[in-house]
Amino acid sequence: MANQSSLAVPSLEQDDAVVLCPTGRVDGTNVTILQSAVRERLEAGQTNLVFDLVDLNYISSAGLRVLLMAARDLQAQGGKALFCNLSEQIRQVFEITGFDKILSVHGNREDALSAFDPLT
Amino acid sequence: MATPAKILVVDDEEDLELLMRQRFRRQIRRGDYELHFAHNGREALDVLAENPDIRLVLSDINMPVMDGLTLLSQLQEIEANVSAVVVSAYGDMANIRTAMNRGAFDFVTKPIDFNDLQVTVEKTLGHIQVLEDALASRDRLVALKQELVVASQVQTSVLPAALPVTEHFDVHAEMTPAREIGGDFYDFFSLDEYRMGLVIADVSDKGIPAALFTMVSRALLKAAARHHESPAECLYEVNQLVSRDNDACMFVTLFYAVLDLRDGHLRYSNGGHNPPRLICQGEVQEVPSSNDIALGIFMEHEFHDNELVLCVGDALFLYTDGITEACNAREEEFGEQRLDELLAGAADAQMPDLIATVVDAVEEFAGGVAQFDDMTCLALRMNSNKPA
Repeated sequence: MANQSSLAVPSLEQDDAVVLCPTGRVDGTNVTILQSAVRERLEAGQTNLVFDLVDLNYISSAGLRVLLMAARDLQAQGGKALFCNLSEQIRQVFEITGFDKILSVHGNREDALSAFDPLT
Repeated sequence: MATPAKILVVDDEEDLELLMRQRFRRQIRRGDYELHFAHNGREALDVLAENPDIRLVLSDINMPVMDGLTLLSQLQEIEANVSAVVVSAYGDMANIRTAMNRGAFDFVTKPIDFNDLQVTVEKTLGHIQVLEDALASRDRLVALKQELVVASQVQTSVLPAALPVTEHFDVHAEMTPAREIGGDFYDFFSLDEYRMGLVIADVSDKGIPAALFTMVSRALLKAAARHHESPAECLYEVNQLVSRDNDACMFVTLFYAVLDLRDGHLRYSNGGHNPPRLICQGEVQEVPSSNDIALGIFMEHEFHDNELVLCVGDALFLYTDGITEACNAREEEFGEQRLDELLAGAADAQMPDLIATVVDAVEEFAGGVAQFDDMTCLALRMNSNKPA
């Protein structure tokens, strides 16, 4: 598609969870990339996801919507979506919109991974 | 064609390069073709990585290091945007079938009949062009349809037809829609003889669902405003309604204020929206608000009212993030600091001029880079109090 902002969503499996690292910008032009990355994991039955946002430079409201959907869908399947390594800019967006109160936000990746209950 | 069609020829026979250059010399001279060569599949992948605009690959099957069939699989795996034509021994149906199954567009047989090869190359290039045109038209059509539907809805009902003019205040609002239609809206209405409602909002995502959500939110808020004095109570009610059965997880950030013209008293509640600005004697400050959340994401949230007083001469500037998050070619954002400096510099301007100053500055900053979000501003200045 013309004028699509750059976004890649590399992932890795770590401690029974999947870590997704959206890299670049998420906006209305490329939000489906993030959406399908999440859907793929859901379909594979992987319901514990950590979104490591260390390399995310920008997120629009369309992107926030996908994060919200991911959190809701994972929860419905008995899993969790956790968020970590928010840059100052992303943290500000979370705070203004109130997403920091709705989504589970952690400091760094280790904090997020240890927040999964090992018994479940 | 303005630019030559780049063709990669993959064959381990050293003298094929000379032969190809000779047979296609006219096309090369005219600038119709540009030939690249590789001697096996591995080399071919390297050449393609260096020349991502190669669209056609002519490949032999039997080659050392990496054969043609493996190359085809690799091309599929990396989702290379190329069409492949395989060159195979006459009657080698098994390999040809495998090649076609691995995504080859066509084949020619050895010994190469160059007339036949040229016909095949032209046919394949034509096919590539049709594919590319179809993709481009599809994108254009989808975007266009979406814009038309939403734009007409936005035009007919989302924005107030006319903003009121009175001696007590000046108000002006402007929405600059992005190419991709978004879901900003503003509103301005009188609640009674003395009180005005002011709204600015931004719906998540784009397209028709967002446009519908915009319409619903605006209507619900306007209805709630009639029977709740407190903006927080209005937001609470609208949030309850839009959060229910919200499978698409749509949400709206919304700032709603009620201005009492008798004394400039402003009561407001901020549902996850960018804080507006108060311009007071040339000073610009953020309108402070409780940390409430966007509407649609959590049904039980209790919203809070905040208050301030607009003195005569003070102005209020409401905006959506299309302003502060506008990007230039270096992916830098316009940002709040630039906005605040502009507002301070234009503090005495008329409201339409104040908004024009901001919009022009954002457009100049973006320098022609297409923006993907709407830009909306609403500005109000208190001129005098209305006698009770």
